[in-house]
Amino acid sequence: MDNKKSNQEIDRRDFFKKAAASVTAIAGTSLISSNARADDPAIMKHVPWGQTWGDPVTKNRYGVPSKYEHNVLRRNTKLLASGNFRASIAVTPLQESMGIITPNGLFFSRSHGGTAHIDPAEYRLMIHGLIEKPIVLTLEELKRYPSVSRIHFIECPANGGQEWRGPQFNSLQFAKGFMASAQWTGTYLKTILADLGVKKEALWMLAEGSDSSEMGRTIPIDKVWDDAMIVWGQNGEALRPEQGYPVRIVLPGWEGNLCVKWLKRLEFAAAPWYAKEETAKYTDLKPTGKAIQHFYANEVNSTVTSPSPEIDWTSLKDGDIVEIQGLAWSGMGTITGVDLSFDGGRNYVKAYLKGLVLPKSWTRWAYMYTYKKGKELLLTSRATDDAGYIQPTIDQEVSVMGVEAVYHRNAVETWEVTKTGKVNHVEIRTMKKVKDA
Amino acid sequence: MLKFNRKLILSMSTAAALALLTAGCMGASTSITHATTEANGKATIDGGSTYPVVNDKTGPYYVDPQVAADAPKINNGRVPTANEIAAWNTDIMPDGTGLPEGSGTADEGSDIYDAKCVACHGDFGSGGGGYPSLSKGNAYDLQKTLTNNRWKDPEADGPVREFGSYWPKATTLFWYIKDAMPHPFTKSLSDDQVYALVAYILNVNEMKIDGIDVDDDYVLNREKLLKIKMPNRNGFEPNIDGPQALDDVRAFYADAANFGAQKIKKGATPCMKNCQAPTAIVVHIKGAGISNFLPPMSDARNLPAEKKVAVNPASVYKNTCEMCHGNGVGPALGNKAEWAPYLAHGMKKVYANAIHGTDGGMPAKGGSSLSDADFKTVVDYLINGK
Ligand code: HEC
Ligand code: HEC
Repeated sequence: MDNKKSNQEIDRRDFFKKAAASVTAIAGTSLISSNARADDPAIMKHVPWGQTWGDPVTKNRYGVPSKYEHNVLRRNTKLLASGNFRASIAVTPLQESMGIITPNGLFFSRSHGGTAHIDPAEYRLMIHGLIEKPIVLTLEELKRYPSVSRIHFIECPANGGQEWRGPQFNSLQFAKGFMASAQWTGTYLKTILADLGVKKEALWMLAEGSDSSEMGRTIPIDKVWDDAMIVWGQNGEALRPEQGYPVRIVLPGWEGNLCVKWLKRLEFAAAPWYAKEETAKYTDLKPTGKAIQHFYANEVNSTVTSPSPEIDWTSLKDGDIVEIQGLAWSGMGTITGVDLSFDGGRNYVKAYLKGLVLPKSWTRWAYMYTYKKGKELLLTSRATDDAGYIQPTIDQEVSVMGVEAVYHRNAVETWEVTKTGKVNHVEIRTMKKVKDA
Repeated sequence: MLKFNRKLILSMSTAAALALLTAGCMGASTSITHATTEANGKATIDGGSTYPVVNDKTGPYYVDPQVAADAPKINNGRVPTANEIAAWNTDIMPDGTGLPEGSGTADEGSDIYDAKCVACHGDFGSGGGGYPSLSKGNAYDLQKTLTNNRWKDPEADGPVREFGSYWPKATTLFWYIKDAMPHPFTKSLSDDQVYALVAYILNVNEMKIDGIDVDDDYVLNREKLLKIKMPNRNGFEPNIDGPQALDDVRAFYADAANFGAQKIKKGATPCMKNCQAPTAIVVHIKGAGISNFLPPMSDARNLPAEKKVAVNPASVYKNTCEMCHGNGVGPALGNKAEWAPYLAHGMKKVYANAIHGTDGGMPAKGGSSLSDADFKTVVDYLINGK
């Protein structure tokens, strides 16, 4: 590169004008003739970061994202807020997610009394109730148990719960971002219990947090002996405060609310507790007037993540080949397949699973698509899992659950691509009117 | 093809072992060994898959056989004292376990409510401003709204889910207020105060105990609280009470129709053509929908708008100037005598020297990257000591 040239100003506007003209001239071809366009100043000029020192390695002892990524954030809305954002939720930007892991700083954050900040030196976990030998563990003693690391999503069962009666959020982040995924490191609860003599009559376990809301939930003993984990690690580092530092319980696949954070106590009993979050909330009212309680698992689900209302297709040109991407997940098993529809779930083609396909985990899927400018699409994805479940249509789900359930909505999700490539969140459903009901 | 953990197979019923074998060998698109029954042959509690340890693996994950096969009895921690258990075992169960003695009237509760709760929960528990309401009127009447469902009539009233009309147990209310309210000073109420508040909330929900109205003078205590029959106590499924509760839960989730799920037969292809009801239409968001996102939605990859923050001279001094000026190299913070010879040249000169640096050892701007204006603020601070 010519060093003198680096100081010369190349008119960027001129460049883009010429480039645009050359693109129209040869639309449809992907190889652009080398002398049809102006030289790109991003290539022709020395870049500022190439002509001076960068930061010393001593800067940012704990690394942070590039300053250019400042819009990739957890977001909230006042309509989902209570208690000065202390009994509230901030959701994960799924439109920017990659792979099947969420960076810890973007993991959705939900609490009922604010994020607690626990001194690890004062941390204690007490296990008692219907067991031969109650114990209390310090953090150090807890971490001495043999560790396991597992990749699991955690989903608030109210993910999509604002949209039972129709679409509300023209945003992937808000329509589906009440979830995130991490590799959790901890120990199986059953490993701790091996020495404690859990009694036969113990059918239930209370998991209780030490935060201001003292959040507690009743867990059936089956999960305790299956895959319940007491975790202290999240993607290779200590849990973040928002995820329950220093210790939470993770019940793979089950409601995020059941995965009690800032965990302080596990008690075994013969009867369930009826905590506020398993009666007043996290119960699914059906049209029969009965509400489902103890609705543990998040059912099979999926969504398109690219395109999204946030990052749409308005910059695509006719004939561009683009990857439609999405996530599929099931708290009831392993994803076995995903189908994709271009007409709102009327007709489907098979989409392709990508990368690791793990139990009770986010699974990436994709479909290569040749973009046709001006064509309207209704992108709907539909997943199946190895327990035999398939996502219902909205009509199927609503016919049993009605529209007042709030939680556990897993009907297929549809994203409309308009003629100009904008993306809108829509629902494909039968709308009942008073008269024809 | 698969080497099974003998212990596991022996410990399982034949049916379960068979189910496991089938699942393991026949799973078409996934080679992950799963089962929908537990080791005892019963259906899983949540209607989903489980991944028994087979060949030292659970699903795709290897497990350390030293831990998995026969969980070793690791003896960490210590037995808590009786006082320690009592200090933390403060939950309250529907049968009264953990419910303390004490009493209070609705009238007393009303006073406490006005002092500690009304700011968020509104007059008579009416809620508002994003805070939950604690009553919407008569609990027994409102319980009847729980069959309201706006799928038949979008304009109709929805179900009213308040403490009085919806919650199955009254002990939940006592427990929750005692542990988690009032924000932000939780765990600050006495047992008598909580009894009084519960009495008040029963009062505004127009509830009765043993046929008697919980009026202003009603004295609520442990015995009476345990007599409360919530209007919606039978409003929940599956059953979770009694020794057979877990089997009831299992049976409930074994039937997908109970919870709005869909299953496809093993090996069958899902619907690929005409999979929507003919009556289904495209429903768009009404207006802008919910869109007041914080911070506003953006995927721009630019530099964040710079926020003009006022320079904090004390902290710049600490981080940048003190290592010299606080150690006898250069005039000291606020030391009039030491600064006098410099100030004699006039402030203009002092600023200029400090900005450009001096041969006497002052680096340009003291090595900082502050703007001239901000740097001058720090110089003023260094000279005056405040
Ligand atoms: C600073 C605001 C604030 C004050 C003061 C306050 N609360 Fe609350 N209360 C909340 C919030 C926020 C919630 C919802 C918590 C959640 O979502 O988990 C709540 C929930 C409740 C609930 C559960 C309601 C339901 O239907 O789920 C009850 C009962 C309650 N509060 C009682 C009280 C009582 C009694 C007092 C006074 C002693 C009180 N609160 C004071 C903010 C407040
Ligand atoms: C590396 C050591 C060092 C650091 C760091 C340093 N100074 Fe100095 N400073 C000196 C010395 C030595 C002198 C006396 C220079 C002289 O007599 O020529 C001086 C002189 C000055 C003077 C008087 C200049 C004049 O000639 O009138 C000012 C004003 C001043 N420093 C401000 C600052 C401020 C503000 C900072 C922090 C932002 C700072 N210095 C950081 C060493 C330092």
